[in-house]
Amino acid sequence: MKHIMLCTILLLLPCTALAGEGEFSVSPQAIQIHALYNGSTIRAEGIVPEGSQVVLRFLGAPGDVDMKQKGKALGLLWMNMGNVRFDKVPAVFLVASSAPLADMGSAGAALGMADLTGQVGIEPDDADRDVLLPELLKLKQDEGLYREMSGTVTMGPAKDGMQPFTADMPIPSRLSPGDYAVEVHALKDGREVFTASRAMDVKMVGIPFMMADMAFNHGVWYGVLASVIAILAGLGIGLVFQSKEAH
Amino acid sequence: MSIPMELYLPIAGNSVNIAAIFGLGGAVGLLSGIFGVGGGFLMTPLLIMMGIPPTVAAASDSNQIVGASTSGTLAHLRLGNVDVKMGVLLLVGGVLGGTVGVEIIKALRRMGNADFLINITYVLMLGLVGGYMFIESLQSMKKSKAPSEPEPERHTKSNAFARLVAALPWQMEFSRSGVRMSPILPLILGGLVGVLSAIMGVGGGFIMVPVMVYLLRMPMHVVVGTSLFQILFTCINVTIMQSVSNHTVDFVLALLLLVGSSLGAQVGARVGRKLHGDQLKILLASLVLVVMGKILYELIARPDVLLAYAGGH
Repeated sequence: MKHIMLCTILLLLPCTALAGEGEFSVSPQAIQIHALYNGSTIRAEGIVPEGSQVVLRFLGAPGDVDMKQKGKALGLLWMNMGNVRFDKVPAVFLVASSAPLADMGSAGAALGMADLTGQVGIEPDDADRDVLLPELLKLKQDEGLYREMSGTVTMGPAKDGMQPFTADMPIPSRLSPGDYAVEVHALKDGREVFTASRAMDVKMVGIPFMMADMAFNHGVWYGVLASVIAILAGLGIGLVFQSKEAH
Repeated sequence: MSIPMELYLPIAGNSVNIAAIFGLGGAVGLLSGIFGVGGGFLMTPLLIMMGIPPTVAAASDSNQIVGASTSGTLAHLRLGNVDVKMGVLLLVGGVLGGTVGVEIIKALRRMGNADFLINITYVLMLGLVGGYMFIESLQSMKKSKAPSEPEPERHTKSNAFARLVAALPWQMEFSRSGVRMSPILPLILGGLVGVLSAIMGVGGGFIMVPVMVYLLRMPMHVVVGTSLFQILFTCINVTIMQSVSNHTVDFVLALLLLVGSSLGAQVGARVGRKLHGDQLKILLASLVLVVMGKILYELIARPDVLLAYAGGH
């Protein structure tokens, strides 16, 4: 119920401005995962104070991730050795900006992946953060879930002290249903001059929804059905071959 | 308007290229039809490479093998290559052995570092089975080319085993395989393979096939059909268990794979018929040795990322 109310409020507002002058809109306002879904692209458009740089972020909800750390056993063989738990790891972390984050001072760096490592917690406490955190980022980047791209936000001509921007951000297909956020940050002279955020609902519809529902809520039936259909398909193909051979 | 080539997999949480999945299914199905192995030891790593999470890859592959082995078993049944009596005995032993194996692996995990043992067992088993089959079939191929060569002392080696087998009670005829033995032997051997395959987390086709050839002395063509028959039931069990406890079976992925692999298995059964038993053995041995090489390489080379998701292998 709370969730529906929040969505309604967010839909009624064009955007939730948190600080400064400016506005932005994002389309589509929700992502639907249907049977032929293969990733999508969201478009953000808006205006920010003249002369600022824009950073667009697409963020997944933070959560715990259980991992195995690989180490060398007997000085020769690479094996899964210890268990490691990372907490407050965003499911997705995509950043697009009009200029490299490194050129925007500390305010810019705070929006990037490098800063993320400061927020992530690791168990056990004696784990080597300097080794493990870069490995976590590398794994997430390999999966296409973490990405930083500069120069992908286009700034338009300035007018009346304000400047428009547009950005098309590709969203990976490896996306779990859930609540995501799209954020716009405008930075000028190393300072944030505008920040706003929109909620983005990602959900399965149609066949994927029905299948996921059955798999997670009716596991026995799902397993039996999966086996029966596999047997029937195998028999069907076998019979087709038999009739072909008979002729 | 183009034909959509990408399909979203709701359980894997990823989209895949339909043609790539078909191709993969077809290639592995072909091998499965020729050799009577499920192909899980090849399919699962390839699916992981395509971006499917490891647990989903393994479970969906089991579902896929249900379809492929149905088709393969049917093809072999028609060719008279399935020893149902032997298959059922091995299956019963396998299920009992599998249960013991799962308990062993739980105990090992509690003691820590079970993964290390699993991988080492894998490498040793693959190396032993592959190496022995390779050398043995190479020797018998040479022998058939030069029939005048004297018979090597292979008989004395198996004499103790043969005496033990002959001493077991309730000797019965397995007419399809053309062998006579006590049902206790396939039960025990099925059980041992069950223990090993539970520890290694694979269907066990590549261990079962050599066991049938060398210890049960079944002819190679009957071995392949009987192995597929047994794998069919093992994988139905795994599919249902995984669906219930881990929700990792992606049925759309399995269906795509199995259409490819069922077709491949049908072709494979015919290709296998054209090959001699020794040629079949030497090809399977090479395949097993290649997989062993890959696992050994992964153990020795530094991995790209020093982290892996827990819950997989």
